[in-house]
Amino acid sequence: MIFALTWEFCQRAPYVDVRGVDMFSGQALHAAGIYGHLRRGALTKGDLDARLGTLMRAAQNGDTAAYSELLRHSVPIIVRVVNSRRHFGLDTDDIVQDVMMSLHSVRHTYDPDRDFTPWLASIARHRLIDAQRRRSRIAKNETAVPEIPETFSGDQANWDVDGQGDPELLRRAIADLPAGQRQAVELLKLKELSLKEASAASGMSIAALKVAVHRGLKALRLRLLEPGAEADSDRNE
Amino acid sequence: MRTDDLIQQLAGDARPVRRLHPPVLRTGIWLAVSLPWVAAVVYVMGIRPDLGVQMSDGHWLFEQSAALLTALMAAMAAFCAGVPGRPKWEHYLPLLPLAMWLAALGQGCVQDWLSLGSAGLVVRPDWQCLPGIVFVGLGPAIAMTVMILRGSPIAPMTTTALGALAAGGLAEVGLRLFHQEDASLMVLIWQAGTVFGLSFLAGLFGRKLLRWRLASMR
Repeated sequence: MIFALTWEFCQRAPYVDVRGVDMFSGQALHAAGIYGHLRRGALTKGDLDARLGTLMRAAQNGDTAAYSELLRHSVPIIVRVVNSRRHFGLDTDDIVQDVMMSLHSVRHTYDPDRDFTPWLASIARHRLIDAQRRRSRIAKNETAVPEIPETFSGDQANWDVDGQGDPELLRRAIADLPAGQRQAVELLKLKELSLKEASAASGMSIAALKVAVHRGLKALRLRLLEPGAEADSDRNE
Repeated sequence: MRTDDLIQQLAGDARPVRRLHPPVLRTGIWLAVSLPWVAAVVYVMGIRPDLGVQMSDGHWLFEQSAALLTALMAAMAAFCAGVPGRPKWEHYLPLLPLAMWLAALGQGCVQDWLSLGSAGLVVRPDWQCLPGIVFVGLGPAIAMTVMILRGSPIAPMTTTALGALAAGGLAEVGLRLFHQEDASLMVLIWQAGTVFGLSFLAGLFGRKLLRWRLASMR
């Protein structure tokens, strides 16, 4: 238990100044449209929290209008929490939406007898930390490259870059195939017919087509990749 | 997805929810659910024949009370840890009774040493403690798991470790009602050690157990 407490405390140590964040100042309240009320003294911080608490209580009872209003007022508060901490490389909108979905999933944990903003800020803070943890985990396993390579670096993925793609050579190799194999390759690979269509067009059974195209491709592979090997293969067969 | 659209979707999904009870009440519910299980296991295993004598031993009673208080405070702390926005100090609620429990066991070790010399500090294998605590603590642990899953996973490792400490502490109290092992060092190593070990392991699995279950809105 002490290990767990210490671990989580250390994990959150850079962000523990939650209470230092004034949820009721600046952009948060301005964006919420209630900054003016506060400035004019028409609305105190306690009033705001009571208002949000009332909305949340109604939302817990299934009041969709109250919930919608509460969520709208929550956005700038969440933004405020997120912006008060480092979140390099993380999109603020993504975090805000993540926090809102988290809020939605645990809305039954809000106690109407307690303040709403510490409850919301706590969720926002923890989800931000989760997002940072996810990002650092991904960063450990991924390498940033200026340009994504078109193929993998292995030879097999690059077999056609040095002349193996000569269409005339391929045409001659196909022409040299036995008639059945040639027809199967032409129908299934060049014309890209389905097995059923190729069967109807050629009069061959599907099983025969499969065998023929398999043998045809094998012969082509030998002929194109290892010139001279086909003769050996033929002798072996 | 735009945030406004998400708000609309979430608001449209605003079904009534059943609020969590306050942590004190939840602790009471957990105890009420767990005690019958512990009592049943103690009954099945057979109450130790010298229980009457032990009940008149102040030191034994203090150890049991401290262990029970540790379990209750750990349960309350676990329930508090699952509610966002509650103060951090609540996570440390079981530390005081835990310190009292360990101090009582430590004092017992010193007493055994003073009265029996090195023979009072002999450590023998006592493998009955581990399955005993696991079996007695099974009911409380299941009840605790169900209850902490209702909370929010904002401190999963702490919540799980505290929940396991609660279940283990209660199991330890039950174990000593049928298991005749009162040498303080043995209790400290085999019984308290098992409770702490299980709490530690449970804490490690906290993030696996307690996860955010978000609706797929985006």
